[in-house]
Amino acid sequence: MRKIFLIILLVGFVAYAGFNLAESVTPYVSIAEARATSNGVQVKGLLDKNFKSVQDGDKFNFSIQDEETGETMRVIFDGVKPDQFDEAYHIVAVGKYEAADETFHAKKLLIKCPSKYEGQKPQA
Amino acid sequence: MTGNLLLGGGLTAALATMIICFAQKIPSARLVKICAGISAGFICAASLLLWLLIFENDFSVEYVAAYSSTTLPTIYKISAFWAGQQGSFLLWLLIHAMVGAFLTFRRTSAAALGIYFLLQSVLVFLVLAKSPFAEHSAQVFEGVGLNPLLQDFWMAIHPPIIFVGYALLAVPFALSLGSLLTEAASQSWLEEARKWTLAAWSFLGAGIFIGGYWAYKVLGWGGYWGWDPVENSSLVPWLLAAVLLHLINLARKKSVVLAQAHVAATFTYALVIYGTFLTRSGILGDFSVHSFAGTSIGMTIALANALVLIGGLAIIFAKAKELPQGELYKSYGESTFIILLSCLLLIFIASIVWIGMSMPLLSQLAGEAAAVDTDFYIKSTAPIALALAALMIFTFIKFGRMISLGGKIAHAGFLLMLAAIVISAQGETVTQEFQTGEKVSVAGHEFVYEGQVFYENERRKFYVYNVDGEIVRALTKLHGNGEDAAREPAIMRNFSGDVYIAPHAAKIEDIQEMLLTKNLFAMDDGGLGYIFEDAQIDRDENDQPILATAAITITDGEISEVIHPTIVVTPDGGSSQSMEAFNGKRRVRLTGVSGDLEKIRLEILPTFDKLSEMPITATVSTKPFIWLLWLSVTAICLGTLISIRN
Repeated sequence: MRKIFLIILLVGFVAYAGFNLAESVTPYVSIAEARATSNGVQVKGLLDKNFKSVQDGDKFNFSIQDEETGETMRVIFDGVKPDQFDEAYHIVAVGKYEAADETFHAKKLLIKCPSKYEGQKPQA
Repeated sequence: MTGNLLLGGGLTAALATMIICFAQKIPSARLVKICAGISAGFICAASLLLWLLIFENDFSVEYVAAYSSTTLPTIYKISAFWAGQQGSFLLWLLIHAMVGAFLTFRRTSAAALGIYFLLQSVLVFLVLAKSPFAEHSAQVFEGVGLNPLLQDFWMAIHPPIIFVGYALLAVPFALSLGSLLTEAASQSWLEEARKWTLAAWSFLGAGIFIGGYWAYKVLGWGGYWGWDPVENSSLVPWLLAAVLLHLINLARKKSVVLAQAHVAATFTYALVIYGTFLTRSGILGDFSVHSFAGTSIGMTIALANALVLIGGLAIIFAKAKELPQGELYKSYGESTFIILLSCLLLIFIASIVWIGMSMPLLSQLAGEAAAVDTDFYIKSTAPIALALAALMIFTFIKFGRMISLGGKIAHAGFLLMLAAIVISAQGETVTQEFQTGEKVSVAGHEFVYEGQVFYENERRKFYVYNVDGEIVRALTKLHGNGEDAAREPAIMRNFSGDVYIAPHAAKIEDIQEMLLTKNLFAMDDGGLGYIFEDAQIDRDENDQPILATAAITITDGEISEVIHPTIVVTPDGGSSQSMEAFNGKRRVRLTGVSGDLEKIRLEILPTFDKLSEMPITATVSTKPFIWLLWLSVTAICLGTLISIRN
């Protein structure tokens, strides 16, 4: 009886956590892979310097470039330009690609700055 | 070099202490005290040396060059010690070693001391593996300095308190394994373990809460908690330490709970090391705003982690037969059952946070990297936290008289904290553009944005707001070149909660850049003329450039004025201050001088008056009764400390 209670509790928890997990997990993909799916993903890229980033109302437009292939992709972020955006050496955008406007719609941005927490390499 | 030798001395003495404790049946207490004291002495000396190197600006040491500079204020030189990964490990070791020396003066069993000094040896090894004393070949005259974000009072106290918590959690772990190794069925370790776990839980909690308060008040991230891996990696051991605490208390009365208490002690400490591994090894590089750049130390910490977890579990399994067996509880209404069920719920919450924070690692191992979004944590833990709160209220009603005063305060604090988390999240968030001097009504409050004010040679500025008649200011620290280095929010505190204003970066589109050639006339957009007359570069005794000065005549055709803007050479290029010219009608900054002194680059910036009139966008949010949160976490920590006494 007691064991059954514990087992039900544990199985219930694992199912519950697993279900939530499957819903919230976003794979980490390249720009090409992000284009190929309409599911939520995280995509990392360098800031595309050839595209001038603009804040248009509460949407922030910019473009990222694949570190290896050089492929670029337009990104619309649902929010304002994050702090230290211009100093970023790469950007992780969380969201999904919409084929309709050929743009990645990001609901979250992770800005990786060389200086934010770890020290910069000192120069001679 | 000297630093590493001192650490080597600390390692040798720690190993000696461990060997004496393990090798002799009844080790000489005096010898153990001496060896432990020597180890702590060496480690203290190494720590003092690091501070000395920082204060002497010895930039031949890479760590000092990376985190300090000649211009860093004294208080931040103290905290520059733990600004980077190498130094924060040394801080952890320092606290661990001092607690270790103290333990030898209490009646701690030899086996437990042996385990504790084994851990101390591992920690010294971790510090040595990536030493803060490493020198570099590059000749550096000025350090990079501490990140402006970290130049803060809270940075001075948050890491040490967290590491006190981590170091203290080693004690119940050592006591547990020490007891298993000698008399497995003994309950005598529990009283001592209870005190140390209470202290550890209080400190680790205080460290986490102070981190949250810092994020809220200073960093302007909009909230006190972001489910970042670094935050999570301290939350998980804290939740498990709560489980450990309750199991220790149960085991003091019911020896059948001993096995669970031992397992909890091992898992709690293993998760301390695991969190360090996750956040310090660099594997989370792409997933966390906190993470440190990729480092080679990951493997070493992973091994330390395996040693703690596998070693601990192996000893428990080997001694499992000697541990008391029997029924844990007789009925579901019993306090034992309620406490065990609460522990299970805490473990569930900890597991969810653990899975979430480990997802990047687990998915990488499975082949495809992935992460969870922060909703996962909130969505999954909220119902369990609710169930936990219900159980706690039930316990209060039914078994309240059995709980000590400190326990009552801490548990009431915990319940209040859960309530405050929910209540403070019910506010509004609005992003709004503020025109200087204009009255606007946002989220039920009256705002007047009064402009920007500059201080300290333009290294700091405040955005000034009038909220419901009260003046609040949001600080922004600036780099030498005038760009934002760190932005803090403005907070208007009230009984009904906080009004939280986080200004966005001011648009600086109005900068005109001019390239001036010697003796040639040029005109800016506003119609003033510029003639670059002359430039000179001052050098130090090593022929290194230190200062560039230009002489420029500004004229409107009738009046002329000569200005002398400068650039101070710094390790990251140079820093130059803007200067007002022409009766405050212009603000200019010298940003470059060509090597042949024939060309200069000049920026024409908006004047301070103009900046102050510029509209500023800010995110405004209300945090209803957020002071309840600060009150509740203080109650948790104080209540826990009080209960150490009985």
